[in-house]
Amino acid sequence: MPRSSRRTSTPVATRGGGADRPTHLARNVLLLLPAAVALWLAVAPVYNRMLVNGGELLLHLGESPNQTRVYLREGRYAMVVRHDVSGGQRFVAELTLADLHFNLILLVALFLAPPGVPWARRWRRLGLAALAGLAFHLALIVFRIESVYALELGEWSARHYGPVARNFWGLGKHLLDLPLKLGLPLLLWATFYLRLVLPARPEAAA
Amino acid sequence: MSESSPTTVAGWWRRPEARFLLAFTLLLAGGFAFLAWNPINDHLVEPFTAGVARASAALLNFLGQGVRQEGSMLRNDRFAVNVLNGCNGVETLVIFWSAVLAFPTATWRARVAGLLLGSLAIQAINLVRVAALFLTGAYLPRFFDSSHTVVWQTIVVLCGVLLWIFWASRFGPRRRPAGGP
Repeated sequence: MPRSSRRTSTPVATRGGGADRPTHLARNVLLLLPAAVALWLAVAPVYNRMLVNGGELLLHLGESPNQTRVYLREGRYAMVVRHDVSGGQRFVAELTLADLHFNLILLVALFLAPPGVPWARRWRRLGLAALAGLAFHLALIVFRIESVYALELGEWSARHYGPVARNFWGLGKHLLDLPLKLGLPLLLWATFYLRLVLPARPEAAA
Repeated sequence: MSESSPTTVAGWWRRPEARFLLAFTLLLAGGFAFLAWNPINDHLVEPFTAGVARASAALLNFLGQGVRQEGSMLRNDRFAVNVLNGCNGVETLVIFWSAVLAFPTATWRARVAGLLLGSLAIQAINLVRVAALFLTGAYLPRFFDSSHTVVWQTIVVLCGVLLWIFWASRFGPRRRPAGGP
């Protein structure tokens, strides 16, 4: 039998599997979770390096001359040093990078789980979602560090950041760090797979 | 053939996915901003968190842990933990509520039922999380940090996502009369 029916871009709850689709999806997610954890652990060292280097680059866009250095410690912590605080180099923050990007575990499991979708398409969509995730994590590391600069360095913060800037970095960090970080896997999954849970559209008359 | 081509930006914005994404993001951000507002945090979130701590203490004492609750703090002779934002299940609740309210095709009765039942389920899972983390801290302390940051956050959010998917698939669609246009 031709498998072209699996290649439609509009998954429809038919073939007797519609009512079971969420059950199959949930089963697949749980089965894929250990593999997703393993994949996350495997790519974490490279991913951490990308976040540290990319975050430093983005921070430098707002500094003239460049004042921030972000170092990778033990492959999993970002050590933030600022050159113009307290008259010289000063360590200002340490971030646990896993805390930023552990949502990738759920992302991988959700994107590889949808039943009835060809594997090539699942991986392609996961790749796109991972790129969006990387952009998000880079934004998150910038907001984490800038919120330290704006709110946690006492007089230096008050001197360099006005009330609008402090609210911007503080609220932005709060929104990115909790709701958007935790909601991102569902947000991205729904971008590609919402039709798996939408009601089937009636077939047009011939 | 779909009436709006997915290959054009204008076509994509007319699709239900676009409406869901926009509504979900706005509800998520707005919901968290609302809960972060000091009067709401002080008079709603903090008492709720203390209630979560109370229920967790009851569960742990049912398991024979001899836990005392002091506000949002749980302690016994082996371990102490402070139940804060991030461990009260509120984030997953807001994600779940935002996803239910943003879903493009559902009756309000289905939404209300989903919100109530889903909230109970998420809080039950969160209760297990708090108790499990306390036991991890008491008996396997070297696993506490990773359990707290990665493992249980992932599990609770995953449960919220799966609950929404089940609700959307089974209760979300409006019932259409048979043979209608």
